[in-house]
Amino acid sequence: MKFSYGKGLKTVLGAVAAIFVFASGGIAIAQDKDPIVVGYIGSFASDTGLSTIRGAEIAIDELNAAGGVLGGRQIKFVKADTREDVVEGVKAYEYLNDVENADFIISGSIDDVSLGWLERMAEYKTPTLDTWTSYVGIIDKVVQEYDKYKMYFMNIACDEALATLYIDFGKDVLSEQMGYKSTVLMYEDTAFGVSIAGLVRDLLAPEAGISIADEIIYDANTVDFAPLFNNAADSGADFIYLVSSVRSQVPASQYVKLQVPIPMTGVNVAAFGQDFWNDTGGLGGGTSTLSPVPAVGMALDDRTQAFIDKYKERYGDERPIYPHFNGFNAYYGIYTVFDAAEQAGGFEPLDDWVKAMEDGDLKLEKDGELWFRYAFWKPGEIEPRTNREYTHNIKFDLTEPFDDGSPAMVVVQWYEDGNVAVIYPEKFANGTFREPSWIQ
Amino acid sequence: MSALKTPLQRGIAAWLVFAIVMVVLPHLVGTGVTRSFVFAMYLAIFAISWDVMSGRTGYISFGHPFLIGIGGYTTALLTYHLHWPLYFSIPTAVLMTMIGGTLFFFPALRIRGTYFALVTLAFMELIYGLVQVIAPKVTGGTRGLSGLDSLVTGAIPNYYLALVVLLILGFSMWLLIRTHIGTALSAIGMDEDAVRASGINVTKLKLFTFMLSAFTAGLGGALYVHYLGSIAPRALFDVGFLFQILVACLLGGAGTITGPIAGAFFLTFLLEWLRPYIPGSERFLIYGTFALILYVMQPNGLHELIRLGIKRLGLLAPGRRAS
Amino acid sequence: MTQILVQGLVLSGFYALIAVGFTLIFSVGRVLNLAYGSFLMLGGYIYYQGAQVAGLPKFPSLIIAAIAGAVFGMLVYRILVKRLSGNVVAVEIATLILAVVVQAAVILIFSPSPKSMWPLVPGVLRIGDASVTYNIFIAAVTSWVLLGGLFLFIGTTHMGRAIRAVSMDPKGAVISGIDPEKVNILTWAISGSFGAIAGVFLATYTQLDPNMWVTPLIIAVAVVIVGGIGSILGSLVAAHIIGMLETITTSLIAAELRGVATMLIIIAVLLVAPRGLFGKSEL
Repeated sequence: MKFSYGKGLKTVLGAVAAIFVFASGGIAIAQDKDPIVVGYIGSFASDTGLSTIRGAEIAIDELNAAGGVLGGRQIKFVKADTREDVVEGVKAYEYLNDVENADFIISGSIDDVSLGWLERMAEYKTPTLDTWTSYVGIIDKVVQEYDKYKMYFMNIACDEALATLYIDFGKDVLSEQMGYKSTVLMYEDTAFGVSIAGLVRDLLAPEAGISIADEIIYDANTVDFAPLFNNAADSGADFIYLVSSVRSQVPASQYVKLQVPIPMTGVNVAAFGQDFWNDTGGLGGGTSTLSPVPAVGMALDDRTQAFIDKYKERYGDERPIYPHFNGFNAYYGIYTVFDAAEQAGGFEPLDDWVKAMEDGDLKLEKDGELWFRYAFWKPGEIEPRTNREYTHNIKFDLTEPFDDGSPAMVVVQWYEDGNVAVIYPEKFANGTFREPSWIQ
Repeated sequence: MSALKTPLQRGIAAWLVFAIVMVVLPHLVGTGVTRSFVFAMYLAIFAISWDVMSGRTGYISFGHPFLIGIGGYTTALLTYHLHWPLYFSIPTAVLMTMIGGTLFFFPALRIRGTYFALVTLAFMELIYGLVQVIAPKVTGGTRGLSGLDSLVTGAIPNYYLALVVLLILGFSMWLLIRTHIGTALSAIGMDEDAVRASGINVTKLKLFTFMLSAFTAGLGGALYVHYLGSIAPRALFDVGFLFQILVACLLGGAGTITGPIAGAFFLTFLLEWLRPYIPGSERFLIYGTFALILYVMQPNGLHELIRLGIKRLGLLAPGRRAS
Repeated sequence: MTQILVQGLVLSGFYALIAVGFTLIFSVGRVLNLAYGSFLMLGGYIYYQGAQVAGLPKFPSLIIAAIAGAVFGMLVYRILVKRLSGNVVAVEIATLILAVVVQAAVILIFSPSPKSMWPLVPGVLRIGDASVTYNIFIAAVTSWVLLGGLFLFIGTTHMGRAIRAVSMDPKGAVISGIDPEKVNILTWAISGSFGAIAGVFLATYTQLDPNMWVTPLIIAVAVVIVGGIGSILGSLVAAHIIGMLETITTSLIAAELRGVATMLIIIAVLLVAPRGLFGKSEL
């Protein structure tokens, strides 16, 4: 590289140090091989951040206990906090590379934080697996500039795939089963809210035959949802379609407190976690949301159930009491990443590891059916339904019977008794869509 | 040392020493430390910009991220969408920031102190709201834009780029506050009407310093986003970012130019040094508490502490006279 | 129409409750307490700990939160503000740093995940075709009661008159034998407890999270700017202007412009009437 002088100096120092070690009896030489360093980048304290950390930790401990990786080397797990701040994220990525010399980085970052450090990733060329952001814009970058971003993998179905499958829910359940004809679209003024609302407007409504009676955009810091819910109820629509990613407990619990007279579904990020019920003080009933998989309330295959048992035993009542989807994806992500590394003989050369990742395939079955699958879309591979490429996104499936990959999403509903169930698609469903009890 | 009689000479000598140390530094430390220095230098540039506008005059800006953000967003949008070369987009960004600076200047004709601070804060909150709502396809909305062109790549070239800008801006502003302009700015901070009565064109002087501050903020902001390679509303129009700039200036010593630079270096490294030992959120609690204690003990900042220290040394060593 | 009127009125009363503690300190000490939002956050978290974790009844938990707020207010005054007195900018910066420190501490102790809370009084109140939750209605009533009480206190008691004297002319007050130290401590204690009570309502109405200090601070600042320094009545009117404006913007124009409308009114008032609509030099 360019820092010849600095490197030279370090080499000299290294040589001096080596001489000292030899002189003092060569004890260090017989020590174990260098550990492989796995870095974590993301928030330390949020439920989503903790899910990724714990999922990765459990997998790493299992691998270490089984004798290590790549010819018996132990894995060392180091973490760098982003506080969900974009610039802190860049600093954290630099730290993991420059100070900790991470061989591989697992991320629990949100959209703008991932976009922030993405350029550093391309510069350091460090293999990186994202488990939380589902922003299709990042996958687009891999598709368009494969050479620059090929070390990036996303272990969750991107938002576009989520939305595509979700439209089927609108058609099959909201329209055909429930007989809803019109909706009022209520969404927050964030990029997330605006883009999901756009999909609903352009796709859900026309394809499912549901008309949009009214649209309400609200400020993400709104304190009082009463005027919004009143407008929504007055619009004459059959149900509310809510899109909320920021402070999502607020609309969910105010919906219950105000006993809004029409049903509500949509996307509520807070409802992705098992802690949602306690967080709303028991006022979360009726909320249904699409969720990335594996979602809360979802039946699990044996291996995943073993992971959950281990998780509960290890973390008990500490929140999150049950991992969010990214906790599962981090757990299996560590396995797929090291399977690929074993195939390629390590993380270098990068192209070999990337190739091995693209060829990797981890299938999990339940009752003889494919349940989850951890594999990635290859460059040039076309997804048949949307007719486009999703290079290095997790291999998802958008059509029944979901035998080609995990579904891009499921819909879960929180009932008023505090239970949560998957209500769509049918293959995974263990409950049905219900309107809240106060609606006549 | 004995040749350096006046404070000015001693100051210039100190700048020279600082410059030499900074030029040699990347060859002595690892890439991680070099990278941290780049962030520290950008924070120092922003702190200088704040110090020029607010350090002496009493026109406290709570909206500096607004100016930095204009610079950053202008060059980001021009290069990302219209593929302008950086050599055109960065000067344009600086120009736009100076136009944005006049938005701060007009309120300053009527109000000052706390009220001025609040108007500038309102500007920042306003643009934070607007960037996300208006034309999110162009600005990237909440997620912002990633994959911006870079002027130079790698830790060391970026280090020297930031260093050159910091040294030129810092040294010239430092010289400036040593002229009668600096004195007049301090006088404005104490009693603006008296300064006006003494025949100085206060409005012109204020406009000049506001433009200088906006120039610095715009240039720093534009280079900063190209260094980051990405831009997002939360990274710029954010109370946390404002907080860092303010604390760097006030902890270092407002109105002195060198103080804010020292403050910026101190804060950045405090956080980075804590990282390996305290990786989690405790780090920010310690950092905040430390800043609070230091600030309450000495509101005039590190600059004052160092000055007092030197003075005491001067008293102990009779050969040198304290300034 | 009734809906907008009722909701606007209730929200305005709630905003007045949020702002009054902030106005009080600004009037008496002439400083912006940028850590004011932390009073609300602290109140909310202490109430949560009492009522929802420890299982205490709601009303005693509210009282505990109010007392804790008063103590915190006095501590902030004693430890930070008094030390920096005379330097308005230093007080503002120090309280801003304090707010960030408190936020970091809350993240550490309670985790950054938001928590929703049970309403103080559950249920929905229907007035004509308008509906509001009892919770925010009670908040508005509490606000009117507290403001009325404060008004009486300042107008009729000896200590209240001392507060008014200090807010008018600190030096003159000292000459006439008033101990400004006592007055300051008292105003910070009142501000702290009012803030904590407002925080309990804010938290039960929205949710608890470590960022919750920013929104009420902005509301309080907006109310003070629009109302002007040193006027409790002015604050009350300003809270109603902002509350109604927000409700009208949200229901009739576009909900996403809620915050933008408030920022525009702040800038406009500061430029047209920098002392606020009802600014005067006394309480």
